[in-house]
Amino acid sequence: MLVFTRRRKQSIRIGDGIEVQVLRVGRDGVRLGVVAPPEVPVHRQEVYDQIREANRTAAGAPQDVSLVARRLGRACE
Amino acid sequence: MSQVPNTGSAAVPLESTDAVIPAPEVITFPKGLPGFEACRSFVLIAPEGETIVQCLRSVEGPAASFLVIDPRRAMAGYRCDLSNADRERLQASTDAPLLWLALVTIEEQGTIVVNLRAPVVINPVTMLGAQVIPHHCLYPLRHVLVSAE
Repeated sequence: MLVFTRRRKQSIRIGDGIEVQVLRVGRDGVRLGVVAPPEVPVHRQEVYDQIREANRTAAGAPQDVSLVARRLGRACE
Repeated sequence: MSQVPNTGSAAVPLESTDAVIPAPEVITFPKGLPGFEACRSFVLIAPEGETIVQCLRSVEGPAASFLVIDPRRAMAGYRCDLSNADRERLQASTDAPLLWLALVTIEEQGTIVVNLRAPVVINPVTMLGAQVIPHHCLYPLRHVLVSAE
């Protein structure tokens, strides 16, 4: 892992189009601004992790869809 | 409910049920799905006579099979705006009709939950798909549809 010391308003640049700037440094957190090209999604890591976990749980969909559908049908009517 | 158009040609019967696969067209997910980055090709299977649940199944890479429903069926008034970045990923113009799907999970006790936070969006014209994480549509990741029996 590359490690940098940055102060407020200083930034780092990743590749051609990504800039991460330190906007504010507080006691409990650092506020960052990210400029990235539109094709690069930017998310908090924990949000991404939660979705990955949810996907893993969801991935073993049962073969018998009809049973699930019956139960869902009642809920979605 | 919008559907990914199929070719309308030969239908292939599924082995264990009477459902049919309407000649599956491959939907490409260039980045896979979080946790399933190696799964790039999926087919959307609508069991015959089934109007609520469909199955999004990986046809390349690790086996993965997701039950999906229209998020508007799960929550009335569900509405998400696609970011320009996501629109670009799907090569969709601003007025292109898109297919929105929410992933369904059957938990251990039989509770059925749906992920409204990160829907799958498919552009039926380009057949590109992506699981998006909208910044401004903070719907629950685990919305309970049916409680444990």
